[in-house]
Amino acid sequence: MSNVTLSKVNKIYGTGRMGVHAVRDLDLAVPNGEFMALLGPSGCGKTSTLRMIVGLEPITSGDIHFDEVRVNDLEPRERNVAMAFETYALYPNFTVEENLAFPLEVRGVPPADRRRRARELAELLRITEILSAKPPVLSGGQQQRVSLGRALIREPAVFILDEVMSHLDAHLKFQMLFDLKRLHQELRRTMIYVTHDQVEALALADRVAVMSNAELQQVGDRNALYNRPANMFVADFIGEPPTTFIPVERCDHAGSTRLHATGADLVFDVAAERVPGLDAHGGRKFMVGIRPQNLHLCDDGATIGGKIVINEYLGERSILSIVTGDVTLQALAPPETRMTPGEHACFSLDPRDVMIFDTETGALVT
Amino acid sequence: MVDQTRPEDRWRHVRVLFLAFLGLWLLFTLFPLYFMIITALKTTAETNLTVPTFWPEIMAFGNFAAVFAEATNFDALVDSFVIATINTLLSLFLGTLAGYAFARFPRQAGGENLAFWILSNRMFPPVAILVPMFFLFDSTPWGTDSIWSLVILYLVFNLPLATWLMMVFFRDAPRELEEAAYLDGWTPLRAFMRITLPLVLPGMISVAMLCWIFAWNEYLFANLFVGTDVRTYTIVIPTFTHGSQTLWNLQMAFSLIAMIPPVTLFILLRRYMVRGLSLGVVKG
Repeated sequence: MSNVTLSKVNKIYGTGRMGVHAVRDLDLAVPNGEFMALLGPSGCGKTSTLRMIVGLEPITSGDIHFDEVRVNDLEPRERNVAMAFETYALYPNFTVEENLAFPLEVRGVPPADRRRRARELAELLRITEILSAKPPVLSGGQQQRVSLGRALIREPAVFILDEVMSHLDAHLKFQMLFDLKRLHQELRRTMIYVTHDQVEALALADRVAVMSNAELQQVGDRNALYNRPANMFVADFIGEPPTTFIPVERCDHAGSTRLHATGADLVFDVAAERVPGLDAHGGRKFMVGIRPQNLHLCDDGATIGGKIVINEYLGERSILSIVTGDVTLQALAPPETRMTPGEHACFSLDPRDVMIFDTETGALVT
Repeated sequence: MVDQTRPEDRWRHVRVLFLAFLGLWLLFTLFPLYFMIITALKTTAETNLTVPTFWPEIMAFGNFAAVFAEATNFDALVDSFVIATINTLLSLFLGTLAGYAFARFPRQAGGENLAFWILSNRMFPPVAILVPMFFLFDSTPWGTDSIWSLVILYLVFNLPLATWLMMVFFRDAPRELEEAAYLDGWTPLRAFMRITLPLVLPGMISVAMLCWIFAWNEYLFANLFVGTDVRTYTIVIPTFTHGSQTLWNLQMAFSLIAMIPPVTLFILLRRYMVRGLSLGVVKG
């Protein structure tokens, strides 16, 4: 088990003007035993990052350390990493048991021990009944378990899981999330889980590293990402349905500070303790971010009013889309909400739930 | 008029038509083989009739022994076999390595252009290089009349084919399997031998068949290059003459014997052949 540290890691594919900067100045530390998720949209550099950690992709610049050891120039087999692949990558001409025991065979573990370990692991992953089958006849979920098992059978410095659930159906995915979490709690090993699905990342990981456009945006636990997103990208990417952003202008009036929406008749109060933050920034124009979960339907005394355009019923909840001026907001409502398009609705909003971002850089102001 | 035929009747017509076409096609393709077999069984006099017979009047099974009256004729089959086999092994070995390089490291291996250039070696008519090749091989220590001259010469035709086909097969073999093996602790060579090679084995076998059959049947170059120390069976066939008279029965008998090795190979390996040739066609 190891601490994994990436410092100023860069990856550039190709050379010169044709080069593509896939990972830019990435600093990331994964302490021993942590379950870290690398989250980001397709093409954000998360898979390149992971391939550099395991050694399948050369590092353009920067350093990767496992504990004190710099691993930049080590071959994958010398780094002692285990990886479960998105496509499972099971050896098609080996049985499940041979697949599981393969990493031990390479390390010269005697056959009897290999068998024992493979069977123990099969027990843990509930795949004992398919041990003698060959991978092509297995279902996606079974292949998934075998590939996890092959990664888990030895004691590597770090486990890497690459989009391992993207080919599973929703029900199976739920089961696997549970199993993975349980495995991590039992084994307490350093795991890095790469995904584009925020639900998987937030459900599994101790901390999540959000990447976009080759750069690390924020590292933090789910509360930090959800309540104190570092920038508009994180605020938008984390949370479902996504955050609504509204351009606003600062107005100071009779000792209190307010934000007026530029395109609609909306006013947001700013709590007194957040005014210094705005003062420090100095600007007058901002972007306000509001999570649909933080808008609460109410009868009067509301901060936000608007006309309903869509009421999406999703079983356990409804998503209301409201238009006021140029602004379209989304709000979560209880499923029994019977509001029809055209109706006027009022919402209350706690001033503490208003996220204020810099218009230019997108960074969180306060 | 309303069409009174029931649907199943109409399907029967299609079936009959289909079978008739198939029968005609079979007749067309199998007739040369049939004529070859009966000619091999005819006496020399019968082969010279102006109106050909379609069944031998006297079954001259002795023809099959007569072709070996000259003892070196059997050696020609052996020479052909040795040349075809060595050439196939070399084509496979070199073609597999080159194909792997083109599939996995296209940039380092010279890119798509080089791969295509290799294939383009099969696009000119072989006869165009007949004379240059003769002088080229004539200047080697072993000369033209040797097993090695043909083994190496046939690489000109078989190696591009083997390289190109193996490249296609390797492209279809998932790279992640090798990467998983590296992470599991294997060296690239072992991962290649134990993981990737078994995946492309059916493809390799079909490539081997194609190469072997080409080398086995080649006549043009063999006729010019060899003939004294080494003789391939293809240049023996035209020697069955009597004065100005062509001994068709002996030629056909010897050809039939020469068909045995490739046909046997094909029957033994047909399962791999079909799988190999459809590799890359059918996906997941």
